[in-house]
Amino acid sequence: MSQYALIGVYLIIALIFGVAPPLLAWFLSPKKPNPYKGEVYESGIKTFGPTWIRFKPQYYLFALAFLVFDVEAALLLPWAVAYLWLPLYAVIEAVIFILILVFGLVYVWRRGWLTWM
Amino acid sequence: MEQEIFQLSYLQAIVPELLLLVVGLLLLGVDLVLPEARKRELSVWAAAGFAIVALASPLAYLGEPQFVFGGMIGSEPLNAIFAFIFAMAAFLVALLSRDDERLEPSGVYYALIAFAVIGMDLMVAATDFIMLYLALELTGLSLYLLSAYDRRSRFSVEAGMKYFFYGSVASAVMLYGITFIAGLTGQTLYLGVRYLFASAVMPAWFGMGVLVLILAGVGFKVAMVPLHTWAPDVYEGAPTPVTAFLSVTSKAAGVMALMRLLVWIWGSLPSHAEMTSLIAALAIVTITLGNLFALRQKSFKRLLAYSSITQAGYVLVGVTALSPMGLTAVGFYLAIYAVTNIAAFTVLVLVSNRSGSDWLRDFVGLQQRSPALALALLVALLSLGGVPPFAGFVGKILLFAAALKSGFVWLVGAALANVLISLYYYLNAVRMAYTRAEEPVEPLSIPVASRWVLVIATAGIILGTILAYPLYHLLERAAMVWF
Amino acid sequence: MITVQQVVFALFAVLTLGGAIGVVAARKLFHAALWMVLAFFGVAGLYLLLEAPFFAALQLFIYIGGIAVLTVMAIMVTRGIMKPKEPVFTYAIGAAGTALAFLVMLGLFIFKTPVWDVAAPTGEVDPNGLRALGQALVSPSAYLLPFEVASVLLLAVLVGALFIAREKE
Repeated sequence: MSQYALIGVYLIIALIFGVAPPLLAWFLSPKKPNPYKGEVYESGIKTFGPTWIRFKPQYYLFALAFLVFDVEAALLLPWAVAYLWLPLYAVIEAVIFILILVFGLVYVWRRGWLTWM
Repeated sequence: MEQEIFQLSYLQAIVPELLLLVVGLLLLGVDLVLPEARKRELSVWAAAGFAIVALASPLAYLGEPQFVFGGMIGSEPLNAIFAFIFAMAAFLVALLSRDDERLEPSGVYYALIAFAVIGMDLMVAATDFIMLYLALELTGLSLYLLSAYDRRSRFSVEAGMKYFFYGSVASAVMLYGITFIAGLTGQTLYLGVRYLFASAVMPAWFGMGVLVLILAGVGFKVAMVPLHTWAPDVYEGAPTPVTAFLSVTSKAAGVMALMRLLVWIWGSLPSHAEMTSLIAALAIVTITLGNLFALRQKSFKRLLAYSSITQAGYVLVGVTALSPMGLTAVGFYLAIYAVTNIAAFTVLVLVSNRSGSDWLRDFVGLQQRSPALALALLVALLSLGGVPPFAGFVGKILLFAAALKSGFVWLVGAALANVLISLYYYLNAVRMAYTRAEEPVEPLSIPVASRWVLVIATAGIILGTILAYPLYHLLERAAMVWF
Repeated sequence: MITVQQVVFALFAVLTLGGAIGVVAARKLFHAALWMVLAFFGVAGLYLLLEAPFFAALQLFIYIGGIAVLTVMAIMVTRGIMKPKEPVFTYAIGAAGTALAFLVMLGLFIFKTPVWDVAAPTGEVDPNGLRALGQALVSPSAYLLPFEVASVLLLAVLVGALFIAREKE
């Protein structure tokens, strides 16, 4: 368990670095708000359109493809750790595992579903 | 963990699945090089591939029953038989898909069918909970995608969504049940779990609780009440060949997985009488509900959807027997049901190609338009209704006899009453087809691929009766392995 | 006496529960997805406490890196869903009741199960656990078949989902 203490300390320090500056600014800075200061762009350019817009559905395709390969990587992680202790056929099995998915990637790529439009 | 030398016999035990993977990948590859105008040829490629898989499926049995891949699956005659049935169903559906004019031809479609068959083969063969879960998910995900395949149709997309949401919840509940088993016994192999259950370390109520959770996943595939709610909408919305496919194959795989779990694990519990009563109760509710809803349908597709819920209920009657006879009857009925239902759906595809809808009233005058098609419909529906001499009759007799022998007199009585009720809507559809239309009708020609499907399926329905004895004998010998 | 472990456990438990409450209570679906990331993160911490670093990594990798991102994307591309709406609390009481009933049943189930005591963790955690898992995944006498089936499953999802979700060609 103690080996995680370092990570814990690291996390806490990182958190302090992230949170401290805005907090300090909040306490130290003088607060004199006026309508012009509260605008989004200080240059004076007005924003237009709603902020919460709908994005192109194509983003989703990439997220989907990413998730598939994310899971693949997760499954290959223990295999990679055991790599040095594996017989040859076990390596070939994992290569087949990868090739099946590579085939899928080639298919969707050739069909042009990953082309940005 | 010591490493074992890879055994070639392991590969032989999964020959159907390996071939299916190759077929699926090849179809995707062919799809890439085939020009758009020739995409309809893919169905012939796919059908040829599935036919080869069907012919090769007996290889999966290594000569004597044994476990392969560390007990993940068994190599048994029954698995080979079901690998054959699933490949045949995929073959017929691939041919049928060629003639569905509303279906956009694509390699993805046939590849997904191949992947779904891999999942179903493994569902039947699985003797380990992890394997079962993965097989179930592979089947499920392929079928969700197939249901949503026609993305221009709102109904198809809705069907895919509904199937997916219900299905993922059901399989999550099942996975939860599996974690109890794995956590408490440290085992996922069926035989290991059976040993720990039978040695009475586990209290009986724990076994029942876990069974209920696992029933969620498997019962969903079977569309057993109360997990049937998805079925009508999915069956109606999905492209018709997909409906034909999933209504026969995923049901069969689910029933076989359920039967194996019950026979291998829960049947060994001291208190398994309560369990069989539970299944019996679910069976009769499933039959009755399916029937009552089917009576009121105006759409033939929806009628077949509810009818298939009822049919699954009949199969569950055989499951309650938990005997070699019950298993034989279940196997026989599932095989017969596969060809029968595919025949009925083929007629529907051809009729709705012209009419553009699935209404029952579109069948009026079918006899004038195409006598052969009307005859095929007659044979299929009479077989579904259990009218002699068709194979559905033999199958029902076997199921009910098995249940009677295990002492479920009330169950068989109630099921018989339901058979009579179901005749009403089956015969009503037949009557429609043989009613003369008032206005003149144009003849309906049967395309060549569908003609083959109808010939093979109808032949199966009739041969099921003629060859009932050798078929029964074959299945009986295969079924004995489990006991 | 409170140990460090208990403090850390409490911290991660609060993160998990707080995140989960945030998910149900958030007014915007988008914010709910972000709360979900927090809950996932808490679970990853709990895995670490259970000496299961691989599962903690998977939790970060798949749940936060994959599923949460996918959820956020799904919300971003859905028509009209980005607009803030009044939360739908029609079934709030029923949902809470169902969840509570489920929790009570589950608690009874877990605490009443006598074998639970027997299965208490014993001894040291195997330092080579991950390697053993890797070997088991590709061993023909262990999990080779499920491993390869997982690959086919991912392939089916990849081509099938992209087929359905693709833009017009």
